[in-house]
Amino acid sequence: MTALTTVRTGRLAIAIIAILALAAPFLLADQPYFLHVLILTMTFAIPAIGLNLLLGYTGLVSLGHMGFAGVGAYTTALLMMDHGWSAVPAMAAGAAAAGALGVLIGIPCLRLRSHFFIIVTLAVGMILFALFNNLDGITGGAEGLPGVPRPGPLDLGFMVIDFRRLGGFYWFALVVTLFALLVQYLIVRSDFGRSLAAIRQDEILAAARGVNVFAHKLAIFGISTALAGLGGALKVMFLRVAAPLSFELLESINLVLLTIVGGAGYLAGPIIGALVYVAIPEILRFADAWRLVLFGVILVAMTLFAPRGLSGMIEAGWRRLRRGPAVTGEEAADGRPA
Amino acid sequence: MAALLEIRDISKAFGGIQALDGVDVAIDAPGIYGLIGPNGAGKTTLFDVVCGRQVADRGEVRAEGRAVGRLSPDRLARLGFARTFQECRVFPDETCLDNVLFGAQDKRLGLEWRQLLTRGIGARSARRDEAMRLLTLVRLDAYADRPAAALSYGQRRLLEIVSTLIARPRFLLLDEPASGINPTLLNVLHDFLLKMYEERPIVFLVVEHNMPFIMSLASHIVVMHQGRVLTTGSPADIQRDPAVIDAYLG
Repeated sequence: MTALTTVRTGRLAIAIIAILALAAPFLLADQPYFLHVLILTMTFAIPAIGLNLLLGYTGLVSLGHMGFAGVGAYTTALLMMDHGWSAVPAMAAGAAAAGALGVLIGIPCLRLRSHFFIIVTLAVGMILFALFNNLDGITGGAEGLPGVPRPGPLDLGFMVIDFRRLGGFYWFALVVTLFALLVQYLIVRSDFGRSLAAIRQDEILAAARGVNVFAHKLAIFGISTALAGLGGALKVMFLRVAAPLSFELLESINLVLLTIVGGAGYLAGPIIGALVYVAIPEILRFADAWRLVLFGVILVAMTLFAPRGLSGMIEAGWRRLRRGPAVTGEEAADGRPA
Repeated sequence: MAALLEIRDISKAFGGIQALDGVDVAIDAPGIYGLIGPNGAGKTTLFDVVCGRQVADRGEVRAEGRAVGRLSPDRLARLGFARTFQECRVFPDETCLDNVLFGAQDKRLGLEWRQLLTRGIGARSARRDEAMRLLTLVRLDAYADRPAAALSYGQRRLLEIVSTLIARPRFLLLDEPASGINPTLLNVLHDFLLKMYEERPIVFLVVEHNMPFIMSLASHIVVMHQGRVLTTGSPADIQRDPAVIDAYLG
């Protein structure tokens, strides 16, 4: 296959995926369960995009990210239910609240060494869950806040999209996910993204080259937690309930897991990871009680055979198609081993 | 008139080890200055203090009259200080060209955000030709699109130096640039540094153990021993100095 043909094939594949994604409510009109799974995938993919910017591009691990998703979720739910805000401003406020909390926590904690920072994020996730679970007067406690509304209908002139129906909400979720992907793309392909990649590879060198490491980490932590909040807001709108179990520690750890399995540091990693994370357990329902055991075995196998995640595996295969085997050997002109 | 770079009475201890003990160095004019001395003399610690990686226990560093001894490495970089490292540091995942272009990039967060939001080309893209010219001078142009991790150690050293020069620093501190480089590349490096100095006369401060290399490159030599400046002078004077021969050149 020539390079030109493979590029055209790639673009064609992306176009087909985009068309299928847009047309899913029509194609799956009699399969509401699949639409449900796809929307659920997107509610995980958006916080995973936030985590990918942190983990995959900057090299910071957060084990409490779903806690920030919860902040966005409860803020959105309360604004819509108690103050009558409409969906989009409420979601923006939810994301802003999660991002602001991320910045407040980041100011004292981002100067810590990486392992201490991981412990802090773990503790923050646990504290936030405890608050969601126990502040009965605000969060509804363990029962949560039922009855979170979905966005009102949108009249386009030639058609009306009813977001309260599954098909309509799917498009709403798709737009929010595409927005998160756009944010990720713009950051990664910018000078700011290059400074983040420099921090991930060598913090000392990045500082010596002029990068204010702390300011950059703080900025990306704020953006990452805001995206988590956006994902949380979408989730409670979809499930129509803001419940603490959606934002517990296990969910945060699963978010790290799906980001790594999808491919940390790849634009498509969070989407692929979320698809695998949501879809595989559903596919494995035939295994009944052994379902989660089988899922664990599959994840271990993926880690062993695709250490750069599924995106890395796909990229390696794509490179082989375009250029033949990747250059990995040392081709030193001076003959010294690298 | 204030000295270009003034290191005054700098001391630094790590636990019970006195790495620097009242170091004084004054550089009044651009030039290539060699910093030599036995292992443990405090050369790299002095680099770390000047470039903000370590804070001195006592003394001060002034650049063109301005106190810079307590500034962070990134602020110093933006003021025109650039350095390489003894252990050779490059960004391994980036291509050689991207390593160099990163040196040219303006890393102030506000400007990076403006570039992101306007999709402007930014400083790095405008310097692509210059980056390729520098890579060609050190014979790395053929590796421009390869990741830095694929280079040999010697080539990585050259890449590290090129990545600092594209930022057009006013003070360039090179920590053992010749270490690990074979004789062919050493000649390339020697000629490259002289050419760079001819093009833009700035302060080069070079720590080096390779005596033929540094003696032929530098116009002034500073000798350090046990955390202090032992003597300073021209390469010819230094090579004849009995104290230097006794402490280091042996």
